[in-house]
Amino acid sequence: MPETPPSAPGRQERLAALGGGVSRARAAAPAGASMATGPPAARAAGTDARASERGPAPLGAAEARMPAIIAHELTKRYGRALAVDRASFEIERGELVGFLGPNGAGKTTTLRMLAGLIRPTSGEGRVLDRRVPGPALRRVGTMIEEPSFYPYMTGRDNLRYAARLHGGVPERRIDEVLDFVKLDRASSKRVKAYSQGMRQRLGLARSLLWSPDVLLLDEPTNGLDPAGIAEIRENLREVAAEGVTVLVSSHILAEIEKLVGRILAIDHGKIVYDGPLDALVQRIDAGAVSFRLRATDGAALLAALRDFGLEPEPDGERGARVSAPAADADALVARLVRAGVDVTEADRTGEDLEGAYLRLIRGDGRPS
Amino acid sequence: MSAFWNVVAAETFKLVRKRRTYVLAGLWWLLLPSLALILGRVLVSNFAASFANEAGGVDLAVQTIASPYGIALIGVVGPAYVSPPFYVIVVAALAAVLIGEERSHGMWKTILVAQPSRLAVLAGKLVTAMLVVGVLLGGTLLSGVAFGAAGTLFLPTTFAGDWGGLLRTYLLQWAFTGAIVAFAFLMVHLARNVAVGLILVFFLPGLLETLYTVYATTVGFQPINRFNVFLQGIRLRQVLEDLPTYFFTANVYAPARAPVREVAAAFTAEAATEGLDLAGLLGSNITLERAAIVAGAYALLFLALLTWRFLRADID
Repeated sequence: MPETPPSAPGRQERLAALGGGVSRARAAAPAGASMATGPPAARAAGTDARASERGPAPLGAAEARMPAIIAHELTKRYGRALAVDRASFEIERGELVGFLGPNGAGKTTTLRMLAGLIRPTSGEGRVLDRRVPGPALRRVGTMIEEPSFYPYMTGRDNLRYAARLHGGVPERRIDEVLDFVKLDRASSKRVKAYSQGMRQRLGLARSLLWSPDVLLLDEPTNGLDPAGIAEIRENLREVAAEGVTVLVSSHILAEIEKLVGRILAIDHGKIVYDGPLDALVQRIDAGAVSFRLRATDGAALLAALRDFGLEPEPDGERGARVSAPAADADALVARLVRAGVDVTEADRTGEDLEGAYLRLIRGDGRPS
Repeated sequence: MSAFWNVVAAETFKLVRKRRTYVLAGLWWLLLPSLALILGRVLVSNFAASFANEAGGVDLAVQTIASPYGIALIGVVGPAYVSPPFYVIVVAALAAVLIGEERSHGMWKTILVAQPSRLAVLAGKLVTAMLVVGVLLGGTLLSGVAFGAAGTLFLPTTFAGDWGGLLRTYLLQWAFTGAIVAFAFLMVHLARNVAVGLILVFFLPGLLETLYTVYATTVGFQPINRFNVFLQGIRLRQVLEDLPTYFFTANVYAPARAPVREVAAAFTAEAATEGLDLAGLLGSNITLERAAIVAGAYALLFLALLTWRFLRADID
């Protein structure tokens, strides 16, 4: 069973209603709730679109209390190969959750099942309290693997096509999503002339076209340069801040670390961790934590770290990078201060998560 | 219902943006009428004043080929007699855009989330294909009339003709094309590859029918082997001998080939004395009623298979 935080009331009853086993619940905590707000005009137009054409009726009170996504014992088998093995999790409305796993772990297959593109061998997926595949998918935006388009059409025409297919999306909504992903100037170019980054952004724009309540994104930053990654990350934060439920998969661990508050980790088709990001990082037994430190006296900093038995690397004139055992990590700065080093800056780096995650999937560092 | 119309609107939008649509229309609307007018002009220039036209034979030929009615008739009959028939080429091109391209461009994962009703998606695409075929056929009729009307200015042609019958031929051929659409969609979907799918659409019916003909010619259905004894035993021999009348290609072009029946009939008696089945060779000896039943059965079979496969398919 995956590691999860303590149960929340109601989850067991919901899973029982689905006719299966029980795992622990999650508290809803939108990771992006305190971040930048989304584009109001875009959301307003999107509301119009949803109200007129989304298909199922607007959320009722009971539906609004249900998790946005429920995976219950989802299993997918291809012949003898087990791609996803009884994956169960819930994602509350407005949550921004990272879906982590190495290549071939089962991330994309799980997302495809939730998007109604492939049928589970057993188990069931529910989105917005409705079984998938089904009409609830009209309130879902997806970007599964590399976004695909008709290359002979312009970016705008690709969005027009999707808008017509979905129905009820006004032309101004297309302008808004293009503006949101900063593709308004390139929208009249044919997609075959787009760079990888532009295609990724156009894919995100399309997934937002009908103002979905749920976004399923499979490695949305794949192949992007750092600037592109930062842009997509900012876009996702804005979307999540508007209350959209986002499940985003990635194998770029540092990206997940900067974006989400909760991690679902999958390996060999099994959910191996389901919990807060901090817990994953902090509760690793005997794990190593990387630090970037700066002090008024760089030489004294390096000497003190070496005295502690560590192997620091100089980082500029007054800085150092060092990897410390997780058990000692919290006390490292205090020890440096006691040793007389005037520490001016101490950052844990993004490699923390990677180290924790690799230990997790190797099975030698699972959180207790 | 709105899901279905959304699909029709989206697919129509896509086809309007596709250059191939205009190439097909150009070929059908411009090429054949232009050739007919050129041929008419050549006949008039070379034979109108010669002895060959003493009985008005050349004028009749020009009227048949290059009059408004004649060109419009050639527009629907001609495509049924080229190989592969132009109807198949058009429908295969549409199937490639509407079904095959979604796989090759990886678009199913987008389409089936934007419009999760797979039945609506499939029905919308099929209906769009039929609408486009209808537009192309309608355009052929209009362009034939327009080119023919232009021809009356410099050719000895008139507007005379069985226009009601012609309109009926167009409508029937459009309806019969439904079986070709169903077949092409099924093949392109099953093949999982546009090129292989198109090859199957173009050549599979012909291949199967040729194999049958080879078997019927070289072995026949006389009880000379165990296989035929078995067939006789289950009273299938006559059915097998009649099989060519159920062939796909013999039936789906029946309306377009029907106008040739009169021509064939004039020569059939003479040809029959020489042991030649001229009507059979021209594919014009099948009644429209029977062809409609056979083509309808093919369409239903292909649609059932296509729907069953499409609704169950995993999108990878």
